[in-house]
Amino acid sequence: MDAVSFPDVTQLAVPIFIAAILGEFLWIALKGRGGRYETRDAVTSLIMGAGSVASGILLGFIAWGFFMVLWEITPLDLGTSIGVIILCFVLDDLRYYWVHRFGHRIRWVWASHVNHHSSQHYNLTTALRQTWTGTFTFMMVVRAPLVLLGFHPALVLFVGGINLVYQFWIHTEAIGKMPRWFEAVMNTPSHHRAHHGRNPRYLDCNYAGVFIIWDKMFGTFVPEQDSDPVDYGLVYNIATFNPLRVAFHEWVAIYQDVTQPGLSLKERLLYAVAPPGYSHDGSRDTSETIKAKHLARQPRDSGTPGF
Amino acid sequence: MPLELLLILVVGGISAIALLLHLSGRSKPKVMTEPQARAAWLRQFPESPIADLTLARDGHAALIQTADDSAPLGLVWSFGADTVARFLEDAKLSPCKKGLHLRLADFSAPAVQLHLNQPEAMLWQGMIEGASAPQPQMQNQPRAQEV
Repeated sequence: MDAVSFPDVTQLAVPIFIAAILGEFLWIALKGRGGRYETRDAVTSLIMGAGSVASGILLGFIAWGFFMVLWEITPLDLGTSIGVIILCFVLDDLRYYWVHRFGHRIRWVWASHVNHHSSQHYNLTTALRQTWTGTFTFMMVVRAPLVLLGFHPALVLFVGGINLVYQFWIHTEAIGKMPRWFEAVMNTPSHHRAHHGRNPRYLDCNYAGVFIIWDKMFGTFVPEQDSDPVDYGLVYNIATFNPLRVAFHEWVAIYQDVTQPGLSLKERLLYAVAPPGYSHDGSRDTSETIKAKHLARQPRDSGTPGF
Repeated sequence: MPLELLLILVVGGISAIALLLHLSGRSKPKVMTEPQARAAWLRQFPESPIADLTLARDGHAALIQTADDSAPLGLVWSFGADTVARFLEDAKLSPCKKGLHLRLADFSAPAVQLHLNQPEAMLWQGMIEGASAPQPQMQNQPRAQEV
């Protein structure tokens, strides 16, 4: 059944993305609340999104070739029934959770993902500020078990596309909280706002794609706090709207760190794969030290969500 | 979706959104008051309290002297509707028509254009170059931490 094919949902959703961005902007402009827009920030995010689609078209064959090799190897074929599609969607969301978590905890993967967090705004254009360099993180290997279990590569990519399209609408400040049952199970604007926070409390939390239950299961869930409004962006914000610099700045930083003189081989390796903020001499802050320093300044936050 | 259609949608969509945002006044850089500039600096460097702050007349940038005398000068500046901050290590300064142009040794913050009038530009240039100039070593002079 190698002739299996599914639509590319992210490409089909482009008109909806554009219409929704215009709708969100008009809502904010008319109501005077629910988020902020800035021209160059939004244009940079949109160009990053377009570049990400182009990167997928140009480099997608690498992941596809890898999956098809696995598909040739595996003796399993679960088919494409509705039940299998739903099961694949749920398991792929679990895959997304871990890839996303690696994306924040392994600098090599963070170098690709960082650009999604590089805006100080949080609106629907931020959702489209996507990586150009995902192929080079080799995170495609995390999808390998799905293919080996008998989910066709086309199905795996299809549900992955739906996952990304779902995540578009949660990049907004225009929606406060969803109904309680929905907030309990699904990833929502509120949960994902916290994920985009540079506040010490919100560092390394809420990695979910569609189902927030993964964060609750694996201990990374932090609810958005009214007492600690989300400050969007990076711990160390970038000062460029140039898409090339946005796309590659962390790769350049890794190169500069790895090639500095006087390091052991282990230290060079750690600069590439240790959590962001690692330094051989302890001169930089990781999310753990940022949280610890925050608690030293604000001891009353100890024991509250995120600490 | 045919590639040609996708291309038209993407280029047309980005252009329309950019035009709409610009025409509705979303391109104006942030103007800081002194307290806002302080807050913007501390937002980036909470462990580097400010000893002295010099705000540009247009409110788009401020020079920061931190409480740590040995630290280089800092700069906080408008970045679209937001702000960014950096210590001015290895910064290359050049006067220009609009004020001063700073090139930073930072791939994620390559340059800053400071809009300053002439007396202001001279003052800022003196402060930045003075801070980055090597301090003369005085014989038999006690060092600060020994006083």
